[in-house]
Amino acid sequence: MPRPGFVLEVDERTPPLIVHEGEGYRMQKFPLGTRVVYPPDALPGVRDLNAHIRHALLDPVGDSKPLPELLFAGMKLTIAVDDISIPLPPMVTPDIRQRILEHVIELAARAGVDDLEIVVATALHRRMTAAEIRRMVGERVYRSFWPTHLTNFDAEDKDGIAHIGQTEEGEDVEIMKRAAESDLIVYVNINLVAMDGGHKSVAVGLASYKSLRHHHNVHTMLHSKSYMDPRPGHSAINDSTVRMGRLLASNGLKIFQIETTLNSETFPSQLGFLNKREWEWSTKDQALMMAAKKANEVSPPRVRREFFRRIEASYKVTGVNAGEVEAVHERTLENLHRQQLVEVDGQSDIVVMGIPYVGPYNVNSILNPILVHCLGLGYLFNMYRNKPLVREGGVAIMYHPVPWEFHTIHHPSYIDFFEEVLADTTEPKEIEDRYEERYATDPWYVHLYRTSNAYHGVHPFYMWYWGAHGRDHCGDVIFVGGEPKSVARLGYRRADSLRDALEMAKDSVGPSPSITYFHAPPIMIADVR
Amino acid sequence: MSAREELKEMARGFRWGRRPMMPRSAEQHTEEREDVGFPTDWARTEAGVAARQAILQGIMHPLVRNELSLRVYGLDHLQDVRGPVVFFSNHSSHLDATLILCTLPDRWQRRTAVGAARDYFFDVWWRQAFTALVYAGFPIDRSRGGKGIDKAKELVRDGWSIVVFPEGTRTPDGHMQRFRHGASRLALELGVGLVPIAIVGAYQAMPKGRWWPGKGRPVVTIRYGDPIYPREGETHQSLSLRMQQAVAQLFDEDRTTWFDAISRAERSETPSLAGPVAPAWRRTWEGSRPVARRGRPKAWE
Repeated sequence: MPRPGFVLEVDERTPPLIVHEGEGYRMQKFPLGTRVVYPPDALPGVRDLNAHIRHALLDPVGDSKPLPELLFAGMKLTIAVDDISIPLPPMVTPDIRQRILEHVIELAARAGVDDLEIVVATALHRRMTAAEIRRMVGERVYRSFWPTHLTNFDAEDKDGIAHIGQTEEGEDVEIMKRAAESDLIVYVNINLVAMDGGHKSVAVGLASYKSLRHHHNVHTMLHSKSYMDPRPGHSAINDSTVRMGRLLASNGLKIFQIETTLNSETFPSQLGFLNKREWEWSTKDQALMMAAKKANEVSPPRVRREFFRRIEASYKVTGVNAGEVEAVHERTLENLHRQQLVEVDGQSDIVVMGIPYVGPYNVNSILNPILVHCLGLGYLFNMYRNKPLVREGGVAIMYHPVPWEFHTIHHPSYIDFFEEVLADTTEPKEIEDRYEERYATDPWYVHLYRTSNAYHGVHPFYMWYWGAHGRDHCGDVIFVGGEPKSVARLGYRRADSLRDALEMAKDSVGPSPSITYFHAPPIMIADVR
Repeated sequence: MSAREELKEMARGFRWGRRPMMPRSAEQHTEEREDVGFPTDWARTEAGVAARQAILQGIMHPLVRNELSLRVYGLDHLQDVRGPVVFFSNHSSHLDATLILCTLPDRWQRRTAVGAARDYFFDVWWRQAFTALVYAGFPIDRSRGGKGIDKAKELVRDGWSIVVFPEGTRTPDGHMQRFRHGASRLALELGVGLVPIAIVGAYQAMPKGRWWPGKGRPVVTIRYGDPIYPREGETHQSLSLRMQQAVAQLFDEDRTTWFDAISRAERSETPSLAGPVAPAWRRTWEGSRPVARRGRPKAWE
């Protein structure tokens, strides 16, 4: 029986704790009394995955018929899959999406379906490369469908987008025309965090900028407390996508949702110590940690990046559910919470977070300063239910070198955002009002998004909004080890060590603050009571 | 931080070479690790025995003689005894096992292994190796009751005599504690004899918390007694009681004479070693009362 997560209180027996800081990590001694939130142990994976997938497809949940009964000759079938942004890091092959796609396609072939399109639901993310897609869907699917019937979604293809209608809140709903005209959409998802899946899959993954702007904005993000808590009324972004998803359903779109959950085995066995609690490290774990750390420190940056890029998570599948979107998602969240939820008693004055090397938007890429902001104050900060781990006006201390470095192919608009927009202002609302439209419609960015492997021109804005709630909530944000220029550009402060950061934090939280270290990854959700 | 400083930080934080500890708040969230156990059989091979005897006779015994005024009595009781047997004694100091092994006659020394607490002597590699090599030590799991002595049974069946301390741990105040039943169960099950040993003065010489004997070559007496054997139908509780009385009788003999001790034992008047029923400080005060040197000190003492 895997152990649940728990909150450690640092005492004199506590060894130094590992803290991620980009493409590296450090061992940090925390002040006595610091609370450390540890994730639950990895749940065991399902025993017979193929049988589990078959069972999910043949015995769906909610108001849905079994998949074979929904498939018929002459139908128009669209299968959408989540893109490279999940899981993190990419899982060992075969990817769970491949396993499910093979089952679905097999059923479609048997039913005599000829018109079958597979689309990677990238929304405004970058197009995946052929190699990335092959790795994700597997050789057989790739060979059968690429490049004509297995494509990246193009949100800027005006002829390929259909306007479905408006929600009761006046939100435009636009999705991929092919999907809208299909007799059935099968969505294959990986639910890595609580905000994934549900109505967000189709209503966001296959949507255009015109549709996305209704929930990817500063107002929504400031009213999503948190966006990792999809209960009605807690997350404005989730409420919005639910409205959109229900509009799609009321317009006759038939969606067969397949959602999967993974356990928390985030790191492969060679880096197994990263999955363990420090005081349980064996001598071998300690030696491995030291060796890997030293080798990492002396490696040239390119080698280091390549090492981290090659990390594949040994995730196991903990659940596959299929059928009607909301019923499926309810089960998915139950499964997810079983793996990720940790009860925490109350907030603290300071939250400490280590920013790892990879986030959803820099797989095979560079975690640039804007993505560091997004991963820290967006994703990690929002991994809570009820209340943030840090009190309002408290201090967030994050570890990351924040190098002034960008991937010119993947993130061209990020460079201009950083150089132009953030040099002018860091206020999300002001940025939204003054700059978003121009970047979103810039023909050069649109061209790069459609033909290269670039994120959409508006994407850095979303990343900035993603951290808006965290930024608004915290009185101060300090990066330990951050590059002075880039941290200053983000509008934050930097320190050389935790001791310095705590000294600096005194201005906001007084001389003896309560501290909580959020010991992630592996991913978890703090249920703060 | 330099590599050296980092290593020092790791060594301190992870308690390299010391007993690993876990944060207090993590105790209830941590499963007990399955203890695969440290292999000790190598220390009982011919080479291991030879190395041990070299260490005991070449280093430990001279060291003990140098640091303590050692008196050994009653070894004649072992002359007609055939092994294996279970040696047992009161336990007041880390000196105890060393003193017993160093004072045993050669034929016993070669084939005697010491039972040592798994949680103390078999926690870090260097202590495990030292215990196995110098004492032919084998782990006794104090938390597992009767199952904690499986290795002891195996050794006795192989013809090895063993040394155990039925109190389970060193006395905190110099007085003998209640005997646990592991040794009596073992003797009942395997039908072997139990040889009582009284160690007098080791608490005063090197009590719990000290790692080297005190100055002035304190007097320590090792007194071997007549073996006792399990009786037909005897319970382990009753045998444990007899063992306890045997040690008490040896203490009495050390304090008075052999004849007086026997007489008192016959009348069930052997003084108890349990110490006074009193606050802890008084018990410690009494228990640590220096052992008097009898007779005139020798010129070289």
